[in-house]
Amino acid sequence: MQTKLPEAIVATTKGRRAEQILRSCVHCGFCNATCPTYELLGDELDGPRGRIYLIKEMLEAQKVESVTVTHLDRCLTCRACETTCPSGVEYSQLLEIARDYVSSNYRRDLLDRLKRLWLIRTVPYKRRFRRWAQLGRAMRWFLPKRLREMLPVASTVEALQATPPVSPSVAASSVLLLNGCVQQVTTPQVNAALRELLAARGIAVVELAEEGCCGALELHLGKEPGALATMRNLLDTLAPRLDEVDAVISTASGCGITLKDYPRLLKDDATHGKLARRLGDKLLDVGEYLLSLDLSWRKQDEVLAVALHQPCTLQHGQKLGDEARQLLQNAGYDLVAVRDEHSCCGSAGTYSLLQAKLSSQLRDRKISCLESGQPDVIATSNVGCHTHLAVAASVPVVHWIELLR
Amino acid sequence: MADRDISDELQESIAQARDAGVSVAIAGSGSKEFLVHSDTETTQSRLLSVAEHTGVVAYRPAELVITARAGTPLRELAALLARANQMLPFEPPLFRGMGTLGGAIASGLAGSGRPWRGSVRDAVLGVVMINGLGQKLTFGGQVMKNVAGYDVSRLQVGAFGTLGVLLEISIRVIPKPASEMTLKLELDCLESLSKMREWARKPLPITASCYHDNMLYVRLSGAETAVLAGASETGGEIAGDLNWWDKLNDHDLPFFKEPGSLLRQMSPPAQELVNDACVLEWSGAKRWFYGDESEYHGTGTKLFGAGFAQVAVSSPAADPVRGDVQRRIKQAFDPDNVLNPELLRANEAA
Amino acid sequence: MSRKLVRRLLQRTLPRHCLITDPVALKPYETDGLTAIRQPPWLVALPETESQVAAVLRICREHAVPVVPRGAGTGLSGGARPVEGGVVVGLSRLNKILEVDLDNCVACLQPGVRNLAISEAVAEHGLYYAPDPSSQIACSIGGNVAENSGGVHCLKYGLTVHNVVGLKVLMMTGEVLHLGGRGQELDGYDLLALMCGSEGMLGVVTEVWVKLLPVPPVKKVLLAAFAQVSAAAAAVSEIITAGLIPAGLEMMDRLAIQAAEAYVHAGYPLDAQAILLCELDGVAQEVEADAALVERLLRDLGAIDVQIADDPQAQARLWLGRKAAFPAVGRLAPDYYCMDGTIPRYRLAEVLQQIESLSVEYKLRVANVFHAGDGNLHPLILYDADIPGELEKAEAMGGRILELCVAAGGTITGEHGVGVEKLDQMCVQFNSDELEQFERLKAAFDPAGIANPGKAIPTLTRCAEIGGMHVHNGKLPFRNLERF
Ligand SMILES: Cc1cc2nc3c(=O)[nH]c(=O)nc-3n(C[C@H](O)[C@H](O)[C@H](O)COP(=O)(O)OP(=O)(O)OC[C@H]3O[C@@H](n4cnc5c(N)ncnc54)[C@H](O)[C@@H]3O)c2cc1C
Ligand code: SF4
Ligand code: SF4
Repeated sequence: MQTKLPEAIVATTKGRRAEQILRSCVHCGFCNATCPTYELLGDELDGPRGRIYLIKEMLEAQKVESVTVTHLDRCLTCRACETTCPSGVEYSQLLEIARDYVSSNYRRDLLDRLKRLWLIRTVPYKRRFRRWAQLGRAMRWFLPKRLREMLPVASTVEALQATPPVSPSVAASSVLLLNGCVQQVTTPQVNAALRELLAARGIAVVELAEEGCCGALELHLGKEPGALATMRNLLDTLAPRLDEVDAVISTASGCGITLKDYPRLLKDDATHGKLARRLGDKLLDVGEYLLSLDLSWRKQDEVLAVALHQPCTLQHGQKLGDEARQLLQNAGYDLVAVRDEHSCCGSAGTYSLLQAKLSSQLRDRKISCLESGQPDVIATSNVGCHTHLAVAASVPVVHWIELLR
Repeated sequence: MADRDISDELQESIAQARDAGVSVAIAGSGSKEFLVHSDTETTQSRLLSVAEHTGVVAYRPAELVITARAGTPLRELAALLARANQMLPFEPPLFRGMGTLGGAIASGLAGSGRPWRGSVRDAVLGVVMINGLGQKLTFGGQVMKNVAGYDVSRLQVGAFGTLGVLLEISIRVIPKPASEMTLKLELDCLESLSKMREWARKPLPITASCYHDNMLYVRLSGAETAVLAGASETGGEIAGDLNWWDKLNDHDLPFFKEPGSLLRQMSPPAQELVNDACVLEWSGAKRWFYGDESEYHGTGTKLFGAGFAQVAVSSPAADPVRGDVQRRIKQAFDPDNVLNPELLRANEAA
Repeated sequence: MSRKLVRRLLQRTLPRHCLITDPVALKPYETDGLTAIRQPPWLVALPETESQVAAVLRICREHAVPVVPRGAGTGLSGGARPVEGGVVVGLSRLNKILEVDLDNCVACLQPGVRNLAISEAVAEHGLYYAPDPSSQIACSIGGNVAENSGGVHCLKYGLTVHNVVGLKVLMMTGEVLHLGGRGQELDGYDLLALMCGSEGMLGVVTEVWVKLLPVPPVKKVLLAAFAQVSAAAAAVSEIITAGLIPAGLEMMDRLAIQAAEAYVHAGYPLDAQAILLCELDGVAQEVEADAALVERLLRDLGAIDVQIADDPQAQARLWLGRKAAFPAVGRLAPDYYCMDGTIPRYRLAEVLQQIESLSVEYKLRVANVFHAGDGNLHPLILYDADIPGELEKAEAMGGRILELCVAAGGTITGEHGVGVEKLDQMCVQFNSDELEQFERLKAAFDPAGIANPGKAIPTLTRCAEIGGMHVHNGKLPFRNLERF
């Protein structure tokens, strides 16, 4: 597509990158068809093709208009559009540049700013987040419905005290397990289950004492400098342990995708860029990792049929997803067919807070797709989707790890 | 085959008629005359015969397209196509064994293969025609796909010449099936209807189906193996009469010769309307029966006899919007009402 | 007519989220799948119900404001490009499947339903909707009707016009036209066929009844690689001469193969000059026999390799690559200009050769990916709109290609429509009597001329300006120019 970005923009690395991406889009509109917000809202401006156009206009005019912000904010960053795009348009990178541009050239209204500030200052810090979660639970009935739905499920808040890592005496191999900030608070049972599984199979699990956030949250809110600092911080903590282990894994695909993106994000930083690539060489999604081990699994007796929810960060972001399917099948589960598998559940990190209405509409749609095959449980691989779906699903929602024995 | 181009004469005749303020009645071989006029009617129009305008203009079997002049007899066309193992997809009726290509297109009547092989208009790719202003116009073409401009060619199908005199028509043709078989099953009308509908949802090599006289007929076409496989699915015994479908299409079965008003219904029948005495075609979408037309208002039922053409071309009075739009379209092609005006009289009265 | 007044009236009629007025928000609506042509609209209405559509049309009628219907905006001829001072009526929110009638194998759809969504919805009954434009994932059934879209399977199953059995049309006069429906044949003039391919210029389609077909039990896709484009072209004719009508018969040349392979990794042979994709479907015995015949033919005609895909996944991948080929070409160049001429099949090799010469002459690369079985060419002229003059060069070359098609006995558009893009070539294909006939026909539906004005049918003045030199049917086209 023709673009006329001004010199001032093209002069920057990001500006050039944006131009490249814009020009690779041929405006065919295929991507609109699989975009959850376009499906819901039916407005060109709420689909990837329209967003790309709005970004083009914004960068060409070097001016951020509030309607542009409105429609960019509605994007889930689910990247279904990238999977669909035949022309190979790297939309999420364009969006990242655009969000960064918005955040430095546009003043949001006060409430919006406060919300975003709160998110950045709280969620990535597990102690703060835990305190808020407990407070929220205590005041549950005073909170507006949407906030209430956001709260971690009751049992998990209490079961917080992280189980100490069990290390087998003679380890066949070892793996570094990243716990993620939100997951430690909301669904710690997932990693607990994984530790047990691995320990039983003679694999040593290494964990970090003070694990920071991966930076995804700030990145998605368009706060790139802050995000990069958070990433460097995590890399510094990780670095000393990298050589000890065969692989680094995460059970939250939302963290996984950001971690896998470190080499690109930090490519201009000599030291951390190198660290990022070292991490990249060992980094695997838990599904990839388990499947590569060639182990055998059993299934839980009472569960037969599973509806597998593929998080966007896995299927569109990391282009993975079959691993979990494979593992569950190997363990003996029936997987029910799921309609519109490509479609986002609406959780999308902080989206469920910032775009609560759309988010819950998407969730309800997703649940009806997941439950149409009458599964016993819904299994996912990302903490955000997990808690988001659990609120409204009529069957239990678990991480698929919890189903393996 | 006679090869004669009288398009200039035809154009001249229309111009003259228009100048003289008289209308023309367009005719081909006259095989469908019975659908237009009753014997007693008189007409003030000048007769404009297209029957002399004959010959194949272009035919390359590999293109699956034939272009012929409107007066070309259907029989001759069919024979020519058969030599290349091809056929017209829409199986036009040859009433009294006659019929021209132009007449088949203008009347738009399709035979029993219609739901599977397409209607008359489905096969039309392009026309050369003269409108009511005496202008010779070309629309569509000789290729399979063409969306340049409005689809005026297909608009001529079933217009009974009221929008223009057809001179040349390009038609998509199909290969003749390698083998064909007609089976019959002894079933009553309702059973046949549900059977036909059940088959329609299945991938079977069916190219025609018809209920008649407590018997369900089905035709299977294609590779021999496919036909045999289809036959084992449909069941039934082989029907002896090889020309059964022609007789049906040409109304040569005794059913069509009974006294009374033959009615044709073209909407999917409500179950309570079908009875064993009717003939059902097209998976149940076309029904022939005898009765009083006035009792079936608004059900897509028409008298198939004198006056049929008038009713067919004028939109049913039940839908005044379509009537109005049709009148305006007629105006657009023939502002002075030169072409077959009698056919539109019913419309004007409405 | 003042924009303010119309805007106020529409604001009073539609809920807030159904009307776009902000100039920044209007920009993404300035174009469709053909981005070279742009024009921001006055306003965009996104009605959620048919009665809202009717209300918008009424206001536009009363104030003589042009209306541009828009489906999914994937059109490749600028059909949904707004007109200055006009209102775009987007139908994307009318996207419900209203009824599936299994007795009669038909479905009733709102116009915004995506083409692929129809087949997905009826798959559980073993049925599908046959026409499958390559854009089927995104394009709307309303847009399909307006363009009479074809697809890779229309050689055997026909175009949109062959598969639509009913329509509801809101006319610009305020009248509502009901055409067909459950039944198969209509009385009176065939307005249904006329609506197909009318590019939104006769009215706004608000309901579409389509025919559903049983999914063929067996399919085979043959992929044949050729060292010469001409050999592939010859094979197309041979297959049809042999009395076969494949479900699909498609061709891609080397550039197109490269682009598509980069997207789908379907295993297309990258060293071939051309490939043919031939799909055979039907009952098992027939497909077996036909596949053997086609394979023999292909080998006899010099195919360097023939692969047969039996399993549905491999087939789907082969078709995905074909269907995504246009946008995939976006990987080779920032812009492409897609042509849509149709020619008699027997002239394929010759016309492709001439296109190749034009490519050399204009120094622009051309990727060919097209419906070979229908003779419907889609040369994609690769260019870079950011290089001054390249777009003009691409357009000029495109014009030459279409003239080639007309000269070969074909037409300027097989399925993408005339839109605003091919108005000039319409002057080559039609003479002034014919164009005037089109105009009078339009006036029968839209006397005020507010339905998508300026599309599809060029004015005689325009044709006169671009040159009365074109010869049509042996006659100069503008012999009666003196009339205006
Ligand atoms: C990559 C790509 C591949 C394509 N492949 C094919 C192909 O194989 N075959 C093919 O035929 N086409 C193809 N197309 C072209 C395009 O997809 C079709 O023309 C399609 O039918 C347009 O549908 P749409 O919903 O996007 O309509 P739009 O582009 O929105 O509109 C097209 C026209 O229809 C009118 N319109 C839309 N909706 C209505 C309505 N409800 N009532 C009245 N008028 C209406 C508009 O005014 C406009 O004139 C392709 C396009 C792309 C980008
Ligand atoms: S699918 Fe890709 S090329 Fe097509 S409009 Fe979307 S981003 Fe652009
Ligand atoms: S990332 Fe998801 S929500 Fe955003 S434009 Fe792409 S498909 Fe739509």
